[in-house]
Amino acid sequence: MRRIGVPTTVLLVACLLGACTGHIGGGTEAGGEAKDALCAVLEPGESPLRRMTRAEYDATVRDLLGDDTRPGQALVVEEEALGFDNQATSLTVTQLLAEQLMKAAEEVAERATEDLPGLLGCDPITTDDEACFEAFLPSFGRRAFRRPLTDAERSRFEDLYAWGKAEFDVRTGVELVLETMLQSPAFLYRVELGGAAPVERDVVPLGGYELASRLSYLFWGSMPDDALLDAAEHGQLGTPAELEAQARRLLADARAREAVARFHVLWLGLSHIEELSKDAAVYPEYDDALRPLWKEEATRFLDHVVFDGTGTVAEMMTASYSFMNADLAAFYGVSDGPAGSAFEQVTLPANERAGLLTLPAVLATYAKQNQSSPVHRGKFVRERLLCQTLQPPPNNIKIEAPEVDPNATTREQFAEHSENPACAGCHLQMDPIGFGLEAYDALGRYRETDHGLPVDASGEITGTVDIDGPFDGAPELAERLGRSAEVRQCVATQWFRFGYGRVEKEADACSMKTVQEAFAASGYDVRELLVALTQTPAFRYRHAIVPEPSRDPDQAPKPSPRDE
Amino acid sequence: MKRLSRRTLLKGALGAAVGLPLLEAMMPSASAEGFPKRFLVFFTGLGTVRADWEPVGTESSFTLGKVLSPLAPYQDKLLVLSGIDMESAYHGPGDPHQQGIAQALTATELQEGDLFPYACNPSKFVGWGGGMSIDQMIAIAVGQSTRFPSLELGVQVQLSNVSSRISYAGPGLPVPPEDDPWKVADRLFSELSTDPTLLAARRKKRHRVLDLVKDDYDALTKKLGAGDRQRLESHLDAVSEIERRLDAPGGVLGGSCVIPDLGSPIDIYANDLYPAIGKLQLDLLAMALACDLTRVGSVQWTTVQTGKIFSWLGHTTPHHTLSHSGDTDTVSQGQLADIGHWHAEQLAYLCGKLDAIPEGGGSMLDNTVILWCTDISAGNTHARRDMPYVLVGGAGGALSTGRYLQYSGAYHNDLLVSLAQAMDVDIGSFGNPAYCTGPLSGLTG
Repeated sequence: MRRIGVPTTVLLVACLLGACTGHIGGGTEAGGEAKDALCAVLEPGESPLRRMTRAEYDATVRDLLGDDTRPGQALVVEEEALGFDNQATSLTVTQLLAEQLMKAAEEVAERATEDLPGLLGCDPITTDDEACFEAFLPSFGRRAFRRPLTDAERSRFEDLYAWGKAEFDVRTGVELVLETMLQSPAFLYRVELGGAAPVERDVVPLGGYELASRLSYLFWGSMPDDALLDAAEHGQLGTPAELEAQARRLLADARAREAVARFHVLWLGLSHIEELSKDAAVYPEYDDALRPLWKEEATRFLDHVVFDGTGTVAEMMTASYSFMNADLAAFYGVSDGPAGSAFEQVTLPANERAGLLTLPAVLATYAKQNQSSPVHRGKFVRERLLCQTLQPPPNNIKIEAPEVDPNATTREQFAEHSENPACAGCHLQMDPIGFGLEAYDALGRYRETDHGLPVDASGEITGTVDIDGPFDGAPELAERLGRSAEVRQCVATQWFRFGYGRVEKEADACSMKTVQEAFAASGYDVRELLVALTQTPAFRYRHAIVPEPSRDPDQAPKPSPRDE
Repeated sequence: MKRLSRRTLLKGALGAAVGLPLLEAMMPSASAEGFPKRFLVFFTGLGTVRADWEPVGTESSFTLGKVLSPLAPYQDKLLVLSGIDMESAYHGPGDPHQQGIAQALTATELQEGDLFPYACNPSKFVGWGGGMSIDQMIAIAVGQSTRFPSLELGVQVQLSNVSSRISYAGPGLPVPPEDDPWKVADRLFSELSTDPTLLAARRKKRHRVLDLVKDDYDALTKKLGAGDRQRLESHLDAVSEIERRLDAPGGVLGGSCVIPDLGSPIDIYANDLYPAIGKLQLDLLAMALACDLTRVGSVQWTTVQTGKIFSWLGHTTPHHTLSHSGDTDTVSQGQLADIGHWHAEQLAYLCGKLDAIPEGGGSMLDNTVILWCTDISAGNTHARRDMPYVLVGGAGGALSTGRYLQYSGAYHNDLLVSLAQAMDVDIGSFGNPAYCTGPLSGLTG
């Protein structure tokens, strides 16, 4: 497999590690290929059809109808891939989900029609109901489908309304229209057929409305607002500058914080933090109520860095402040901290805490019930922060976990990993990084002793592009990660996956390079990375669709007898 | 519409689209005796402790070991099978757990893909399971007349990845289980407790809406490329199935069919509530059969890399960690056997429910076959050979039960063929034909 833009030395190391993702279009500092060469041919890569996630469903229904009941939470959990819940090709629909979508649509429609004049903008009971409905339909339809309804769709919905009214009542007519819309592919999927004639080979620009949805779901995880739809209508999303202006507008809106928080939770693997449990015999101070606090602290910290701080990878990795309320301050052992339940910014000792790496949410997630886990913490750094992957253990080896020895430090107990040659190949990539985080117990509390013995928090990182070498403790590791080209590239890669709902491929070299160059030019400011995601061939174009031949005619769906 | 749906599903099962004549040939012939056959899967992860699982004795005279002893009351309805290999699970991409769980019921290689890293420090990625699972295949044949073709239940499965799925509607089409007993109950029984007039109105509205929705999906699939088209077609098929079954009999209350009272909702993912949630799911599964809402079902006990701690057995170490213990670690191995024993108690509980429902001269259990399967044979080797299979129930006399059969290197594909045949689904091969020789000998006595 040909790698793009990766210097040979990096490639060698990468392949020793078995790393085969995360370096596409890479090497902004280490001598990668020039962007012009990578972008000589307009190549958008793949554009798989994206289905709404549960979080997107909730936000969209909220923005469309003011319904903040989060009906998406009743749907089956997304199939996760690469740590993200929004990867297009892994979101399929089963009968169970289709049933749940039907019921969710019915319930949303029922709530939405409780106040018919409020929904329709006119009172169908006291005025001409057909005129009222016909006035409502085009504007609502444009918001629900995120594009204008076609004439055929309009007349179908008018027929449906008339049928519902005749068979039941006016409200049912409106309800059925909403139910149908909320189950339609135009609502549940981001349908992208391309907007115009090819500009190069089979590469077509996306239509204005398609771009409006790409923008709103990237920055808000929700539907476009009227300003975006209007821009689409007036053809004002065609140029990079127009997209950039919209991107900055959306980024400044509070809804962007929600979408960015969602990314952070998935990127750091914190989605399941509420199900963590810790051994009460070892940690009598542990309380389940800490888990949501840890999560909130993590999202607030990263939210602050991105929206209120410098937005840089360096601050994300090395900041020695965090956010906590009274309960969390007690957990940290912070005196003179916040006194109430509200979260406040607190400065922490710089020799104890450094950025996301030392967040209790991260340290407790990558730990065991009864002890820290150098293995999981090392793996976290490799996979989530460096986008590296490692060789799997040989098939069918006998794996025996070390016994917990109360008279040895955790570090000592993991020594066999490096002494046993069967384990060492894999574990030398993880354990020495994790050993550097031994000053934090399984709850993420800072400690100077482990099992009564002094903590040795010396570690070593190897197999990286630019931060190899021994280090002592989390702050030193964090400082290195904060200036590592590989980490910066990884942040861009993770955002690419989350933002585009797919894994990066070789064909994305130009898009990836475009993003990375803008990221570098900004001093690695994530806000600029996000804006840059709208400037790529992958964002603005797609390959023209070649429709597959139809299913056999005798298999085609037949009109239902109920379509009278 | 049902032909459309079945056709898409069968593409996966047989590797290519098949025509209707073959499909119809696969359908069980209508039987007049009146008691339908049911097929259930009982999946637990991480294998077993061989020495404690293996019965002692001969084919027809044997004593169950520590793990299976809770099933002793049903010993005459058991088939304990040793020596069967998941040979297919040594082929294709995936780590041992991924191969084990995704092939347990599909018996064919996983898809290549970039979706899921291998466990323990992955350098490689794998896609979803590569074929239809046997429960879904059987559901196509026997599940056409019931309200639900099949029912997939989970007990704290929670995760959504290839290591957490046993059922597939086709290659790359995982069927997720429902973990929430209250949602299951609502799905199964809400119509039974709804006023008939309201129900009729609701059906009429749903038909109208779903017809339009189907048209939308159908029109859009024609405009899409291959990958998107397949995913949208499966959505269309799902909507079509719902609509087709709107008027299917929703069960009749009375006799053994009673809407269960689940009590107030509890935290379905709290570790220590695993037994309570499991019991509710088994109650619901049994009741779904009793009300004839479905004839095919599965219950999946968490996932294969579960951090579940069996604290109610006095454990403090997670199941997955225990499963890695060496054979000489008698404490951990003892706890693993306790876990197997506890799961056998749950299976016995389900058997008790079904056995309490009289059907003809026997019970519903006699007209059912339950397959207890797992992903690997032992946690400390991750082997997928010599798997610990247990069958309960004779599928209406199709299987000759009360026996302990020792095979030597038989393929699990063959076992799945036999199960389909016991359910009157006439297939001669299943999964990857390279690891299939036809039905497993000796099961029918």
